[in-house]
Amino acid sequence: MNYILKKEDFPKFLELLKKKFGKVIVPAKNETGATCFQSYSGQELFLESRTDFSAKEFFRPAKEKMFSFKKKSSSFEVKSEHDNTKKVLFGIRPCGTHALSTLDELFIKFLGEDNFYSDKRKNTIIIALQCNEACENGFCTSMGTSQASGHDLLFIERGHDFFVRAETKQGTDLLDPTLFKHTSDAEPSSKIECKNELDIEGLGENLYANFNHSVWKEESERCLSCTSCTQSCPTCYCYTSNDEFVFGSGTESERFRVLDSCQLQRFTKVSGNHVFRPSREGRLRQFVLHKFSYYKKYHGMHLCVGCGRCITACPVKISLVDIANKIQKHPLEFQKHSLEAKK
Amino acid sequence: MITPEKPLLAEIISISQDTSDTKTFEVGFVDKKLQKKFSFMPGQFMMISVFGFGEFPISISSSPYKTNSIKFTIVNVGNVTNAMHKLKKGEQIGLRGPFGTGFPLQKFRKKNILFVSGGCGLAPLRSAIYAVQEKKSEFGKISVLFGCKTPENVLFNEDMNQWQKENFNVLSTVDYPNKNWKGNTGVVTGLFKQVNFSPENTIVMICGPSVMIHFSLIELRKKGFRNEQMFASLERLMQCGVGYCSHCNIGNKYSCIDGPVFNAKDLEKLPVKEN
Repeated sequence: MNYILKKEDFPKFLELLKKKFGKVIVPAKNETGATCFQSYSGQELFLESRTDFSAKEFFRPAKEKMFSFKKKSSSFEVKSEHDNTKKVLFGIRPCGTHALSTLDELFIKFLGEDNFYSDKRKNTIIIALQCNEACENGFCTSMGTSQASGHDLLFIERGHDFFVRAETKQGTDLLDPTLFKHTSDAEPSSKIECKNELDIEGLGENLYANFNHSVWKEESERCLSCTSCTQSCPTCYCYTSNDEFVFGSGTESERFRVLDSCQLQRFTKVSGNHVFRPSREGRLRQFVLHKFSYYKKYHGMHLCVGCGRCITACPVKISLVDIANKIQKHPLEFQKHSLEAKK
Repeated sequence: MITPEKPLLAEIISISQDTSDTKTFEVGFVDKKLQKKFSFMPGQFMMISVFGFGEFPISISSSPYKTNSIKFTIVNVGNVTNAMHKLKKGEQIGLRGPFGTGFPLQKFRKKNILFVSGGCGLAPLRSAIYAVQEKKSEFGKISVLFGCKTPENVLFNEDMNQWQKENFNVLSTVDYPNKNWKGNTGVVTGLFKQVNFSPENTIVMICGPSVMIHFSLIELRKKGFRNEQMFASLERLMQCGVGYCSHCNIGNKYSCIDGPVFNAKDLEKLPVKEN
């Protein structure tokens, strides 16, 4: 069923959601001028393009409490954290909805549910916002992620109003009849054309076969290991777990998982200070191969949704699209240089 | 698998000091029913939580046929293992697991077995050696090769004596001998010439530093061993044990779910030594 929401009614809609759920997450500018998702409190929204930072923070936070431990005489009490707060996420772009379904593959479907992730996922109603124009550096059309999926409502901006498509019952229930009117209008065309193009035909296998390609070294020479790519990525999920004492308690401690980055040496450091991926070449390759090759092998899809955030965020303009395209266009002869032949 | 995420309480039953920096902890689940149900394959690992300090992966070093308790041989090398070493009998830790693949011992029946270990790499192999010892009649000749830095680092002396009594061919070597050392010196690959059985009917299990694994495989291939006959257990940083954290990613495999025990055929295809 399709609906129309007038733009002047839009703030009323957000207020209504806030009243009902307590927490509405919207795209807006933060104090540094970067755009990210944050709780709605009447601030001006950023609806021009995708945000600089993804909505990952609300599903895989940078720092997430997993357990709390409490010492009781000679025994310990182990408590698992549960986040059951209902919330609404407004303004996630089609690439963002695909990023969530990609993470669902690992954290919900792979080895049983990861409660910390699935709690947050199940308690969040998702209102996607269609892109009317291609964004800078995005390549969602190549990745097949330019149309939203797995959302509850889809908003399409049309000048004076929003065209709203309801996908689920949960979504339809949000549509207050005083604000939303039925419409028989045809859905506006939402075809966009990205400037960046990536040839994904056989990409994963081809990149892995070109493990020793010279492009890894060439591109990584200017890498600063600043981890901007993995921080801004909506699907980068790798983490480290840390225990911390609760300050002043003496008997309590907590375990957190903290987002980690494969671009850092310590990511593979074991006791005795041995690092398995000491060079930037190896670490950049790990980033690209995990996205296009390894994840696909286990979960059947790319760990990349083509949002282009890593390219925009990179201070030295390393682009995974360029790297992948270079290899796709000029692969090494498999026999001569492949991993197997080198041994 | 027992719960992928929440650590379960276990109590330290006994502690033995193996060398100056290595202790073997015998632990048992606080929940006795859990302990009764517990089973594992030699070569599998568990995640130990020292509450307030963190979690680390460690191989099980006790026999898979004696599951009234679980033994872990732990070297004091980092923050969490240091905290572990300070724990005393009766104190509690958290356990998750067992995780990963083990050595597929049931496939090795009627074969000669060669164990190659370096340093604390003997710990995960000890579990496999115990299992072979338990069903000795089902296997052929058994050799245990062990290399470490100094005579003070030699692990499991009692076990080695016992294995010798069982007619296992036990050979050890050290890099830096002292006056009292009567055994071999040099790297563990130097012991291969003292093992006299044909490559055809032999299975090799290796665990140790990655350099040792690398050169052992090279030397054994020269002796005519095929990749299918050789298995190695790899060390990697692990934070989850279930393929979530990606620290242990080696090429297109995860050490925690596809390993830590790999066949040499797989190892050949993986970028084990990345630059």
